[in-house]
Amino acid sequence: MPNIKNRVRNGDGSLDGKTVLEADGVTKTYDSLLPFVGRTVDVLDGADLTIEAGEIVGIVGENGSGKSTLMQILVGALAADDGSVSVDGTVGWCPQEPLLYDRLTVRETFRLFGTAYGMDDDEIVEARDHYAELLSFEQFLDYRVDHLSGGNRQKINLSVALMHDPDVLLLDEPYTGFDWETYLAFWSLTEELTEQGTAIAIISHFVSERERFDRIVELADGELTDVTDEDLAASGGPGSGAAAEAGPQSPGVNAGD
Amino acid sequence: MTESGRAGRVRVGVDAAVRSFLREPVQVAVLLVLPLIVIEGYGYAMTAFPELPFMTESAETMGRLNGAIYAVAFLTGVLGLFQIISAQLADERLQLCGYSRGELFVTRLATVVAASVLVAAVSLAVLAWNVTVEAPLLAFGALAAAALVYGLIGMLVGAILPRALEGSLVLVFLVDADDFLSSGMVDIDTAAVELFPLYHPHNLFQSAVDGSLAGGRALATGAYLMVLLSVVGVVYVRLTGNGGVFGE
Repeated sequence: MPNIKNRVRNGDGSLDGKTVLEADGVTKTYDSLLPFVGRTVDVLDGADLTIEAGEIVGIVGENGSGKSTLMQILVGALAADDGSVSVDGTVGWCPQEPLLYDRLTVRETFRLFGTAYGMDDDEIVEARDHYAELLSFEQFLDYRVDHLSGGNRQKINLSVALMHDPDVLLLDEPYTGFDWETYLAFWSLTEELTEQGTAIAIISHFVSERERFDRIVELADGELTDVTDEDLAASGGPGSGAAAEAGPQSPGVNAGD
Repeated sequence: MTESGRAGRVRVGVDAAVRSFLREPVQVAVLLVLPLIVIEGYGYAMTAFPELPFMTESAETMGRLNGAIYAVAFLTGVLGLFQIISAQLADERLQLCGYSRGELFVTRLATVVAASVLVAAVSLAVLAWNVTVEAPLLAFGALAAAALVYGLIGMLVGAILPRALEGSLVLVFLVDADDFLSSGMVDIDTAAVELFPLYHPHNLFQSAVDGSLAGGRALATGAYLMVLLSVVGVVYVRLTGNGGVFGE
């Protein structure tokens, strides 16, 4: 379980309650430069979000509500029309679709992204082997990314986001395609990371096990609302009903791969 | 970051880009086979063309020379385009992870340079089978320059218009018109033709084949390449990551 009251990053309790990510009044509208093409869509309308060190926050919302747009703005992959985002520390981003180089092997992928993060060869090998063992893809290190199954590709996608031990982790549907064992390993990992002080935001259509989160915010009509204490089951909202009774059939998780 | 650190990052990036390129065997095979088909096809097609007074070679030979220039320019142009657009989103992630756009540009450019050298060598070998080339090294340099010019233009098109079909269509028309108008097959009485990307490489190549060795063309080709490289580098750094001008 996340242990927000017991977070200590590298043995330093001074991080308690420290805001590591703050989004203020983020606004985004999709438009086209070309006339008569597409339409204007207001996706975000003054969205506010703060995440503290060691906190794990779920961001939920309906399809098309703008969750992935929000995450791309938080990570810097997309510019907001208005508002600001500030991050204190390094960021790890796991996009919804694995953004990797198809024709590189897993080993080469770690080398490339590790080099991008400024890690030396030993650090890259150490991180690669750690996550390969944790998420069970050691046997695929010499496979090309485009020869991997969807679930294994997602493991690499997630590991690339984690390998440099970031202060803030932004994960967009990170466990899609995971088998049950990997799903459980993922949550053990998040627990370990939050105990070290890593702040984690996870986007999902559903929050299948809401007790794993410190807070849950819902994106609707372009704004974020804290719904942690709301009875979403009664309202039929995200994280409701059967989804809250998590098991091997949790959304996006495969009973077997 | 230190220079050696930056060089190491670029080396890893170039290594990844070249491996990705070589691991598409059909792509490599096309680069090796198409020059043969285009050069011999152009030569054969031109046998019926009348020999006009201003033509310095037989129509068949001029067809082969044009075919060689067309093959190297078009192949590397399309390769340059796809270097930019095929892994556009992964490139953006890599930038967020720490690579600068300048470093990424160098890694993509290195692949285009390698492909330019490859297709120039293949095209010259095919050409030399039927045509006597008086200065092979200079001819190779001219073909490599023509390839690189269009490799850079392909990257430019990819940065501005990051779409496979539309970008490829632009390159088809551009290379075709440029190759024809720069070839000397038609007598064009305007200085504007000297600004066409293939004009100087074409003349340099022709002079290397017939032995007249137009050294001034080499300087002009080099200068053109340098200017183009600067323009493409600036456009790439400014536009990639923003979806281009006419992106999705």
